[in-house]
Amino acid sequence: MARRKRGLSSGGGTDDDVNLTPMLDVVFILLIFFIVTAQFIKEPGVDIIRPEVDNKAQAKPLAILIAVDANSEIWMDKKPVPLAEIGFQIKRFRQDNPKGEIVVQTDVDSNAETLVTIMETINQIDGSTVINISAELD
Amino acid sequence: MRGRSKRAPEEADVDLTPMLDVVFILLIFFIVTATFAQEEALGLEPPPPPPPPNVEPPEQQAILIYIDESGLITVNGRVADIGSVRANIERVKAENPESAVVIQAHPQARNGTIILIRDAAYNAGYTDGVNVVLSGG
Repeated sequence: MARRKRGLSSGGGTDDDVNLTPMLDVVFILLIFFIVTAQFIKEPGVDIIRPEVDNKAQAKPLAILIAVDANSEIWMDKKPVPLAEIGFQIKRFRQDNPKGEIVVQTDVDSNAETLVTIMETINQIDGSTVINISAELD
Repeated sequence: MRGRSKRAPEEADVDLTPMLDVVFILLIFFIVTATFAQEEALGLEPPPPPPPPNVEPPEQQAILIYIDESGLITVNGRVADIGSVRANIERVKAENPESAVVIQAHPQARNGTIILIRDAAYNAGYTDGVNVVLSGG
């Protein structure tokens, strides 16, 4: 393409050459916009068997994810988190992602104690009375 | 810049096409990754905050669903399996439409069971106010 274009311009004179510079400016501005606004979701990094339920709603994108695996261990951002540190970790994630909705991915075999403690912690931090539990996608 | 390239057209003309290709690929990558991973979620309520000590809780009939450590479900003291929880909730609700649902779980109970029961309560018409509490202490 480039070679053909240059051949054309040398044959037909300078006015056949398309000026790409304004498009390049626009493309750069778009690129910088998308780089700056790109936020990546922090996956907990453990495999979870999610429950299959009928009543589920789409969570907002860019959620703060907390995973509880089958051994009732808590994972955030690919690291295990002690139960006592959940509140601190949520506040730390909130600094990067202030509007993030908290979604708890809980394995069907995890203990009720862990989940209820996490829910109480989120309730204390956010005051939210409904906590999102990740369900199996359709 | 443009004036200079007119004076020496052959040497000063930088070919921008490869850079443009790279920039386009980056642009497409960031546009595509700007759509984020999706989660679908079921709302689950934590235990209510402890009431102020001298306020009497209002008297109302509750549907107490208890899950023990082996996963045995009892609805108001009557043993039920996971498929009949919804029918049990609806039966009590038909007798007393004001009754609230409380899911009480043993600390070692499986979360899968709790979530299925909450789902059954959603199916029976309880969209909010179904709290999950731990038994014992």
